[in-house]
Amino acid sequence: MRKYRYLFDQLVRRELKQKYKGTFVGVLWYLVNPLVLMGVYGVMLGSLLQTVTVHDYLVFILSGLLVWLFFSQGLNAACTSLVDQAGLIGKVAFPRATVPAATVVVQLIPMLTILIVLIPLSAILQGTSLLPLLALPPLLICLFAFTLGFALVASSMNAHFRDVQPIVTAALLPWFFVSGVLFNLANLAGANGHGPRHTLEQVLRWGDPIAPFVVAFRAVIYSGAWPSVPVILYVVVASGLSLAIGASVFRRLSAELAVVI
Amino acid sequence: MRGKAVGRELSNGEIVLDDAWRSFSPRGDRGRTLKEVVAAIGKGRAEELPPTPALAGVTLRVGPGETLGIVGRNGAGKTSTLRVLAGIIPLHSGFAQCGGRVAALIDLSSGFGREFSGRENIHLTAALHGMERGEVEARIPSIIEFSELGHFIDAPIKTYSSGMLVRLGFSVAAHLDADVLLIDEVLAVGDEAFQRKCVRHIRSRIDGGTTIVLVSHAPGTIEAVCSRTVVLDAGKVAFDGPTDEGLRYYHRLLGVEDQEQAAARQASDAPVWITQAELLDADGRPRQVFAPGEQMQVVAEFETRAVAPDIELVVDVRDGNSRSLFQATHRLPTSRGGGRLVIDVPRLTLLDGDYEVPLGIHTPGDTAPGIDRMLRFSIAGGGGADGVVDLRGEWNFEGTTIGAEAWS
Repeated sequence: MRKYRYLFDQLVRRELKQKYKGTFVGVLWYLVNPLVLMGVYGVMLGSLLQTVTVHDYLVFILSGLLVWLFFSQGLNAACTSLVDQAGLIGKVAFPRATVPAATVVVQLIPMLTILIVLIPLSAILQGTSLLPLLALPPLLICLFAFTLGFALVASSMNAHFRDVQPIVTAALLPWFFVSGVLFNLANLAGANGHGPRHTLEQVLRWGDPIAPFVVAFRAVIYSGAWPSVPVILYVVVASGLSLAIGASVFRRLSAELAVVI
Repeated sequence: MRGKAVGRELSNGEIVLDDAWRSFSPRGDRGRTLKEVVAAIGKGRAEELPPTPALAGVTLRVGPGETLGIVGRNGAGKTSTLRVLAGIIPLHSGFAQCGGRVAALIDLSSGFGREFSGRENIHLTAALHGMERGEVEARIPSIIEFSELGHFIDAPIKTYSSGMLVRLGFSVAAHLDADVLLIDEVLAVGDEAFQRKCVRHIRSRIDGGTTIVLVSHAPGTIEAVCSRTVVLDAGKVAFDGPTDEGLRYYHRLLGVEDQEQAAARQASDAPVWITQAELLDADGRPRQVFAPGEQMQVVAEFETRAVAPDIELVVDVRDGNSRSLFQATHRLPTSRGGGRLVIDVPRLTLLDGDYEVPLGIHTPGDTAPGIDRMLRFSIAGGGGADGVVDLRGEWNFEGTTIGAEAWS
């Protein structure tokens, strides 16, 4: 497996070149869409409708949006990755998982670009403590493993069933709205600690596997606080589980790749 | 049914196929959609066509440094065998393994990623075969030199011709230091000078101990490279032995189809039909591979049912691309009975390649003259000249010798 490091490097380079045309301006262009999205939601929900009232709403959105972007863009790109690389798969035997993995790794570029802007912005506006930022690298590793697990399932499924990709794209849209990127889950529960709103909050907080990642990243970047122990445990277990299931499904579905693609 | 692993580590360059089975669904096994699957649940099991076997119990042992040619009709399982050996397609049962580093040259004429340059494709191809950065970079200059692509190496491969893509693909494969080289038909593309360079390179690899498996429709290439030949037929090994015998077997196999066609003509009460046709060498022995300049005889035996005038035998000689090189007709005698027509070619003025000789009987009523027999032969061993027709004569230099200083 180690000898395929250079292959992985090549696949990532290729993906970067195709996606960003190999330039930094290309990366910025790629960020225009999420930044516009952030601006629109920020102005609509925060300033005009005033449905969400949190400090520095744009920073709040962006600190969750970067998690969502990494996950959703990685998953979306991975979906078609194996079918897109049919030429390689039909002609050479190599570790197939490198293909979807490369598309997920590439998502680190917009992620890091956002972080470079967001961290100083948050520090200035919010005056947050910088020490909890030490939690970012392990959190990123967990988010990567979590996304890779989903990507492995989606890419190998899509090779066998070509309508998986549109289904995933369709599912991601409502998922985005309940994921807690745009609002504070705590505000959903209302003042009293029980009732249907509280149940809904608990379901969205723990039933949606991406929500604890959003909460954890937001705690570190926006609030300048360490994530709570249950959130950390959830994140670690979810990423391990996702990767294990993804690898097992991929192993089973990737044997016939050269035939079905 | 399931073949067993050999129970030991294979040495580099060794190949083992043990009772290998693999079939494909006739609808091509392409990816379906979940929608279809969900729709099929209500209807119960759809009447699926049974899968067609591509490999039906293939057993092969190839030792390190052997050169194996695989021939067979279309759909005989040649390419599937190669893809199984390359590890691209898994077996349904049985065992397949190659020892050491394996490089597969499959469909070189498309490249990887049309937007990327030749140089980028070299990096990716080498990386796909498990090479590391340092190894690739050390080989880049000689890969580019071998490819003879010059400054085109930095142009996107979408601007390449298929011949250029084969040059690129083969050049990379030539530098992979594989213990097993699996080659699929690639040499058929590209100009002849480069083909010869590839064959030369393959020969040097053979001398270096690399195991070669070459799949080809072109018996000439097999003859030039391989000492051993396997004939596959309907997913089974029909013949395994020395190349000259193997190619004879293969030509006979192709001849069977023609005999069936001739039998059909006989049944359809045509006035004349060919009962047997073959190619003989100077000693009157059947042969399929000749050297340039050798003697060859085309022998056709025929029977006549009815006395009919103006019946002609049409003899054609075509090259590997079915381009007609020569055509002649000969009127057959009109008496009832049989006969034997011998066309004596005292000197085959053809160069290396594969040729076919369709024989057809032409009756005045025939609107579309068919082919009654297809004979095939190959020319090998005519190094030193490219082309189709052997026009090599004696070369004499006439004129005054110019001193070396005149050129400086």
